[in-house]
Amino acid sequence: MAAKRTRKRKPLTLPLPSGERRRGEGRRVGQGEGDFERYCRQTFNPAAVFGKPEVLKGYRVLSCTQYILGPSCAAYLGELGAEVIKIELPRRGEPMRHSTPGNEGFLYPLSRWVPQSGTGLGFFGANFNEYFISMDFHRPEARELIYKLAAKADIMVENYRPGTFDRWGIGYRQLREINPRLIYVWTGGFGGWGPGRVRASYDILGQAQGGAFSITGQPEEMGGSPSKHTIWLADYWGGMMGALHALSALYWRDTVSGQGTFLEYSQVHGVSRQLEYALPLYGRHGIIRERWGNWDTQLCVHGIIKCGKSSYPKSDNPQEQEEGYILISAYEDGDFARLTKAIGQEKMVRLYKSHDVRVRPESQREIYAALEAWAKDKTKEQVAQILDRARIITQPVWNAKEVASHPHWRDRGSIFWLDDPTYGDLLSQGPAYKMSDTPPRVKWALKPIGADNEFIYGKLCGLSAEELKRLEAEEII
Amino acid sequence: MAEPETLKGGRRGRPPWPATPPPTAEEVYGSLSEQAREYPKFLESIVHPDKAFNKPEALDRVRVLDCSTGMIIGHWASSMLAELGGEVIQVEPPGGDPLRRLTPFGRKEYMARDKQRGEPVGLHFLHEMRNKLAITLDLEKKEGRDILKKLAAHVDVIIENGTPGQWDKWGIGYRQLSKLNPRLVYCWVGQRGQWGPLKDKPGMRDPVAQCASGFVHGTGDPKEFGGRPTRSGMWVADHVGGTAAAMGIVAALLHRERTSGKGQFIEATAAEGIIRILDYNWVWHGMDGSIRPRYGNWDLAINIYAVNPCKDGYMMVGGGHDRLWYRIWKTVGDEVPQVEEEILADTNLRNISERLPHTRQVKTYTLLCEWLKDNTRAEAERKLVRQEVASGGVLAVHEVAEYPHFKYRRQVQEFDDQLYGKVLVASSPNLAEKIPARLKWIGRPVGHDNEEVYRRLLGFTRDDFDRLGERRVI
Repeated sequence: MAAKRTRKRKPLTLPLPSGERRRGEGRRVGQGEGDFERYCRQTFNPAAVFGKPEVLKGYRVLSCTQYILGPSCAAYLGELGAEVIKIELPRRGEPMRHSTPGNEGFLYPLSRWVPQSGTGLGFFGANFNEYFISMDFHRPEARELIYKLAAKADIMVENYRPGTFDRWGIGYRQLREINPRLIYVWTGGFGGWGPGRVRASYDILGQAQGGAFSITGQPEEMGGSPSKHTIWLADYWGGMMGALHALSALYWRDTVSGQGTFLEYSQVHGVSRQLEYALPLYGRHGIIRERWGNWDTQLCVHGIIKCGKSSYPKSDNPQEQEEGYILISAYEDGDFARLTKAIGQEKMVRLYKSHDVRVRPESQREIYAALEAWAKDKTKEQVAQILDRARIITQPVWNAKEVASHPHWRDRGSIFWLDDPTYGDLLSQGPAYKMSDTPPRVKWALKPIGADNEFIYGKLCGLSAEELKRLEAEEII
Repeated sequence: MAEPETLKGGRRGRPPWPATPPPTAEEVYGSLSEQAREYPKFLESIVHPDKAFNKPEALDRVRVLDCSTGMIIGHWASSMLAELGGEVIQVEPPGGDPLRRLTPFGRKEYMARDKQRGEPVGLHFLHEMRNKLAITLDLEKKEGRDILKKLAAHVDVIIENGTPGQWDKWGIGYRQLSKLNPRLVYCWVGQRGQWGPLKDKPGMRDPVAQCASGFVHGTGDPKEFGGRPTRSGMWVADHVGGTAAAMGIVAALLHRERTSGKGQFIEATAAEGIIRILDYNWVWHGMDGSIRPRYGNWDLAINIYAVNPCKDGYMMVGGGHDRLWYRIWKTVGDEVPQVEEEILADTNLRNISERLPHTRQVKTYTLLCEWLKDNTRAEAERKLVRQEVASGGVLAVHEVAEYPHFKYRRQVQEFDDQLYGKVLVASSPNLAEKIPARLKWIGRPVGHDNEEVYRRLLGFTRDDFDRLGERRVI
């Protein structure tokens, strides 16, 4: 029998901006693939993830958290296969469920009690793969339930104000008596001790007071101000730091000591850790690192410039109408020489002979001005095309649509359509890293408040249907 | 043109830090009741970083060979492991990692020099060299790769960032090394990945990943406000991707010890780190084609939650839910009653999610600025914190360094290093009762630990060192 010809999958492509080909943006998926790439694709194949085991299978995590920092910490453990039980206040749930961009996107229902309301998209991404139960922590009866859950848990993540859980009798001091193997992770703003311990915090405050804000954005002289990172960076990345520490604590407990412990993570502290040379420079020379906009303080050319033309002038979306931006990177002498040639400014090579000269502030201003002048009648794709030909490193600034529809990220499963059991098709981000044998994965995005009350309370606390009904009526769960 | 004001004529000699000593425990807790001070003092007694060296380390039996060069993502990943106790050996090409030569605006005088050789090193690289041993090895030479194979037998983790497939072609990729050492955890780090359509697109340093992940498009003021897409001042995608890599590595170690006895292959990229944490970008786009716009220092999904100008800088005020919302306006109303009245009278602003549409955010912050413009950061913070509202000023680097709470908690500390002298650094935020992160040394000059590492692991003799040194293999 003749081999059946399989139809080739049509490659995913973007509508081409202004009718141009997206040059230099890679080959089609699978085209011209070498042996090693094929090996990698098989090893990390997103479609094969569910056939592989999970690292944290058999571990249980209690997530008594709200907003993003604590929840995301538990979610990263959930991606690795832990059974994460998210505990929310009954009825309204946690505040992020009521947070959504422009009050526009909601996922229905909020809960079985409030089917006409939805969960805001702000909640998305911070609670993957979790079981959702509801509980009013500070009621005496709830305390007994927490004790039962903690006795069977490996990790507890908590982000209420320092001392609150201790006062309610469900803090580290009480739970370690019940379960000495428990790893108790407190994540929060300023930490539970020291002069600022009573201060509440959010991501944006972490960015502001940790120092990241003051070094991000255009400089004063260019009309800029300190700028917030678009993401809740201090929260989402802080959650990663907490999860990393929790994993290390598990490793230590299960391979060395058998003991639980208490971990404290302050997000303001975390942000300061990211300041690179800013603190050593201040300590040595008293010099205060400031904003340097879209350029780089240590490399030149290595900055983002404005291209004068929009890639989608006919779009009705203002995000697409705006002019394009592109990163150009040519800091080595040879690259810089080719760059100047490509933009017809060969004389600049003589002016800025070495990197030490190019990277000076006054040189940077002039070099980037020349680049923007050259690019003012071009789209970002045109700039990329010309500079790719000159073998200069470029990276257009992509908006959410360009990233979400790029075949590279789809191919790698970094952005994919999740078939969520509750909410249907959702375009979702995948885990931040890939593993060959025990890959992290997204099983479901979220569930309504209290969706797993029967399952979890039945399984771990032995509650009968009648007891559940009573606790629910009294708004304990 | 002049240099930015703050860079002009750096102060020489004795560092100015700290301008004021950190507060004492008596100052912090003295005025509190016995009951109020009990819990914070308990916490302090179990997690204070000064006691870290009396405690065990989570990863102290893990040996990591960080072969990544020229990219912060790998260095960041191994820093995280080194802070938690891993024995990290940083492998550099002879002559050192090119990042060692980076210094702001090319200013050599800002570089640190070690006391032994006086070799200059940029402060950025030094900040991520903590707790690591420094050895040199030229992997471009076959002899160097043979040595790497021998080293691979002695380590638990290898981190590398070669161009996609390079190490495999060299015969030292995961496929080959895992045969030599099946317990090896092998982690590749990069900007966009070693497979997929963009794998060969060059560009190895942040902000490549920031641009390719949608981060830059979303950061900064909207165009109508004079803004443009903005990169982070830091190489933030490398930090996020590096942390993700470290997470994967520890997870793989845990799996090896508990279950499989085998290592595995990990891949982490800076761009996918950012894509993972770009909250609702993708789901929102998937729902109705929305492209997340820039929203400056406000937040699309929470009102009040923003940084706005005040009398002496920029001030953050946040009140995501009702309790805080009313407390904020009460604080404002004490001084500018008509603002509070106007807010309370607006029926559109009663429900938490109905406050979110753009025009309502504009109204909220316009009115809030009526109050902020007459208050300094410190005044506004004092008044709002009294109401338990999350608030605080945007701090410049020197204000971060001098912030009493940070000094008290050793968040910012001056470390007196054996080789580099006093260096002001941010410590690791991972505090713990039993397995805290810690800082042991600041860094090492190029090849500083060659003798120790190669003798200890491979039994090198003086002859070996002479021979390999002559051929510039190490």
